Amino acid sequence: MKETQAYIERIKRVNRGHQRLELAVDQSLSAMLAGQAMLVRRIDKDYDSEQWDPYLRELWFPVEIQARNIVIVERPARAQFLPGQLLSIIGPVGKPFRFRHNLRNILLIAYHTTPAALLLMLPPLLAKQVGVTLVLMGSARQYETGHLSEEVEVIQADDDLTWPDMVMTLGWADQVFVVVGPGDEWGYYREILRLMRERQADMPTNYAFAVAQREMPCGVGACHACALNLRGAPKLPCVDGAAFDLTDLPLN
Amino acid sequence: MAIEIARPSKTSLIVSTPVMPAAGTVGFGDRYRALIHFDKLGAIVTNPATIEPWRPAAGTRVISLDAGVLIHTGLPNPGLAKVISQNRRAWERLPIPVILHLVGTSLDQTKRAVELIDDVDEIAAVELGLRDDIHEADAVDLVAEAARLEKPLLARLPFYESYQLALPIADAGADALVLTAPPRGTARDRHTGRLVSGRLYGPLMKPLILRLVGRLRRQLPDDLPIIASGGIHSPQDARDYIEAGAIAVQVDTATWAQPKMLERIARDLGGWIATRQRDALPDEWNPDMSHTEAIQRRAADAGSRRDTKEKQG
Repeated sequence: MKETQAYIERIKRVNRGHQRLELAVDQSLSAMLAGQAMLVRRIDKDYDSEQWDPYLRELWFPVEIQARNIVIVERPARAQFLPGQLLSIIGPVGKPFRFRHNLRNILLIAYHTTPAALLLMLPPLLAKQVGVTLVLMGSARQYETGHLSEEVEVIQADDDLTWPDMVMTLGWADQVFVVVGPGDEWGYYREILRLMRERQADMPTNYAFAVAQREMPCGVGACHACALNLRGAPKLPCVDGAAFDLTDLPLN
Repeated sequence: MAIEIARPSKTSLIVSTPVMPAAGTVGFGDRYRALIHFDKLGAIVTNPATIEPWRPAAGTRVISLDAGVLIHTGLPNPGLAKVISQNRRAWERLPIPVILHLVGTSLDQTKRAVELIDDVDEIAAVELGLRDDIHEADAVDLVAEAARLEKPLLARLPFYESYQLALPIADAGADALVLTAPPRGTARDRHTGRLVSGRLYGPLMKPLILRLVGRLRRQLPDDLPIIASGGIHSPQDARDYIEAGAIAVQVDTATWAQPKMLERIARDLGGWIATRQRDALPDEWNPDMSHTEAIQRRAADAGSRRDTKEKQG
């Protein structure tokens, strides 16, 4: 965990709703793994904030990491950025996702949010020839996937959150990672868990994970504003996350 | 430099620079050790602790506002005994005094807390947080109970009740007043559409609390130190509070946005106070002026004095 400076090297529009920013970052950030994120603030050359809106740092998940300490993030197209823009970054925030050793197939679900928090895992998993399926639900169906690797199977769920061959997709997956939008977070996770339980009699631990992308004011476990009331003790997504076993969430 | 930030009573609370993070900002121990050099600060105020464990609040915790934020965490903590046992070693390692923030709940719980805290050498002082809407008599009782501590007692007043409570709290045994807890507010969560109540943070808090500090400074006994807290985002903000009569300042959410700003404020304020006392050049400590500029300015001043002397000679 460090506070470092970065700058936006290039900006590329990848679809109607999103742009990708290439950030020239400190070396410590180029070692980030899937599941880890950065807390970002725009600054001027004197470290002062250019503005206080947004007031808090934003949570940015990298979607790709390239050589020469380049980290790529995906941001909404409506947000305005300029090449050369300086950023202050606190990171890496959180722990990497833990994948099974014998992982063959993985299911990724994005519900009412973009799948950006899940995308950094794609290059290493595809390189290991892991089968990847991405299911887009709710407003996530508006997310255009043309820029993703053709090796990723993309499924648009129906309005009732189901899709053809759903039983087979779930049975086939060795692990599932779910990311949901803000608002009724627990409600969204509850729906996903219900869908999975209806189709799978046994729901083992370390199988399905909720990926928390809550507002993190501090990012170091100090403010406790992101704390999750999990079974047992509360957990902090900024320190213990971003992924938590879906069955540990207090969804009842 | 040594600044006594609490009324000398049982023990004293001396800091080397009058800047510290506010309660709830940097955690219970040294969570920020990778981002902040604690030795540059005057003290650390811990997250709020209660006798019984408190769990995180349900629902929305953070609502972004225009140039600010509303936060409602529910003050999660594992209970005072665990807070002490889990953080004692970290406190021991810290190079600055630790001020434990104790949530003022009931008289009985305060009594139990006093017994626990008095045995902990690593805690230099206690900041008692008084809840909003507290009755004056209850507040006085809580402070009087906490004042039995063998350590300095700082009382953090609720924003809306500060004028009413300040004098009775001082008389009840507080060694310093912290002005103030962040004001409470209500805002709509745009994701859920629900109204959420919580504490307000941001630059706009400073003018509100600065006025309060200035007015209370004139009303309170001269020997009662005031520690100002609220809306500090720059060295100038901190200086304004000192000018208004505060002896020290606490920095809150600016620390999350710009961790290094806390150190920068500490460096600036420490230097400003030291030089002000010795009638030295205050601009030398201004972070916006480089050392070179300060040296050049002094050299230019010396040159002009020499010229004047030569002309006079």
